Amino acid sequence: MVKRLLIAAVMAILPAGGSAAVPEQPKGKGIESRDYRWNELTGEEAEALRRKGDAQRGRQAYEVCQGCHRPDGSGRPDGAYPQLAGQHATVLIKQMTDIRAGTRDNPKMYPFSTPHVINVQEIADIAVYLEGLAIPRHNAKGPGADLERGRSLYDKDCKTCHGANGEGNAAKFYPVLAGQHYPYLVRQARDIRDGKRRNANPKMVKAVKGYSDGELEAVSDYMSRLALAKKRKPAK
Amino acid sequence: MTRILAGLFTLVGVAVASDAPAQGASGNPERARSIASAVCSGCHGPDGNSVQAVHPKLAGLQAQYIAKQLKDYQAGKRLNEVMGPVAGSLSPENVEDLAAYYNQQKPAPGTVRDKALLDLGRKVYEDGNAESGVPSCSGCHYPDGSGTARFPRLAGQHPEYTLNQLKQFGASKRENDRGLVMQSVALRMTEQEMKAVAEYVASLP
Repeated sequence: MVKRLLIAAVMAILPAGGSAAVPEQPKGKGIESRDYRWNELTGEEAEALRRKGDAQRGRQAYEVCQGCHRPDGSGRPDGAYPQLAGQHATVLIKQMTDIRAGTRDNPKMYPFSTPHVINVQEIADIAVYLEGLAIPRHNAKGPGADLERGRSLYDKDCKTCHGANGEGNAAKFYPVLAGQHYPYLVRQARDIRDGKRRNANPKMVKAVKGYSDGELEAVSDYMSRLALAKKRKPAK
Repeated sequence: MTRILAGLFTLVGVAVASDAPAQGASGNPERARSIASAVCSGCHGPDGNSVQAVHPKLAGLQAQYIAKQLKDYQAGKRLNEVMGPVAGSLSPENVEDLAAYYNQQKPAPGTVRDKALLDLGRKVYEDGNAESGVPSCSGCHYPDGSGTARFPRLAGQHPEYTLNQLKQFGASKRENDRGLVMQSVALRMTEQEMKAVAEYVASLP
């Protein structure tokens, strides 16, 4: 009986043609919900973190990502797609699984990151593959007009978590900022401030809550110029 | 309701993504010659380089891809009134042999029908459309259109055929794509982008 119901339900969502079979992103509970707790390490995220990633397999699984994020992981300088090369595997796993769970809104990416396309093991594989790529130095920088203000804001509010050189913190799921495109940094900072990035860390929301657009741009400009001395060794 | 649907998609999808990877070429191309000549060549040409644009060129396609298409026709996962019965008459061994045979044929250069579309075609193929979320084609099919074990060769294909497939994916009338990826891509493409990219693909050697 259950089986027949399931088949009927599947038939209903996989129509015989003529209408979209493309999956839409679910809406998970994010920062707008009262009981939101950042990075609870449950579900697929916990599962992917437990798996041992394999960079060779990750290279193949990443094929479906590189149409947007480019073969070298460098994304787009206009910030439409972020730079991913050299990012912490933990951060990549968290963001991919948050998008799958619908706590980070990304309807553009969602159809290419569903379980139809990549399984949990491949999430771990892609993460370890990208983590091992060199961070490019040719990322898009800001206009450079207000770097002193950017530096003082960064030192005051960002450095403790993201590190003096934008190296982030793998164990705490804080992303590498060095090498990221300026327009992407601005967009994320604004979305985090405005509550639109629904998987944001409330600590960070608090840190940038009082920022003006100009301040967000200045600090993003400073961050876009951070560089790590050498390629970090993959953690796994 | 949406959540239930999403949950079901997840269930269905897990089964899809955990499938074993496509097998490498295991067929015997010599054994396929008589079938290729008697059954397939009428439409696809003696060496898999069809003349009429309605029939796809098969020469040089990945063996895994050809075998998958034939099996999908057999199983009704890809629908075509001619290919359904033809594929249905093939044994599993025939399928692997034909896949190996057409993989080994030398692809003939494609024919561009509308050169004015090549610039737009190259842009979409190499850069996608970030605004509408169309990924670049080159990500999966590679810059030279040669494809990979998981995504087919496109270079030199008839533009009419490529366009027709893009339209079918966009309308979810062709649904045997890996992970629903092509349906997701084509759904976001304009008809002009589809036409342009089909021309550009034909221009790839």
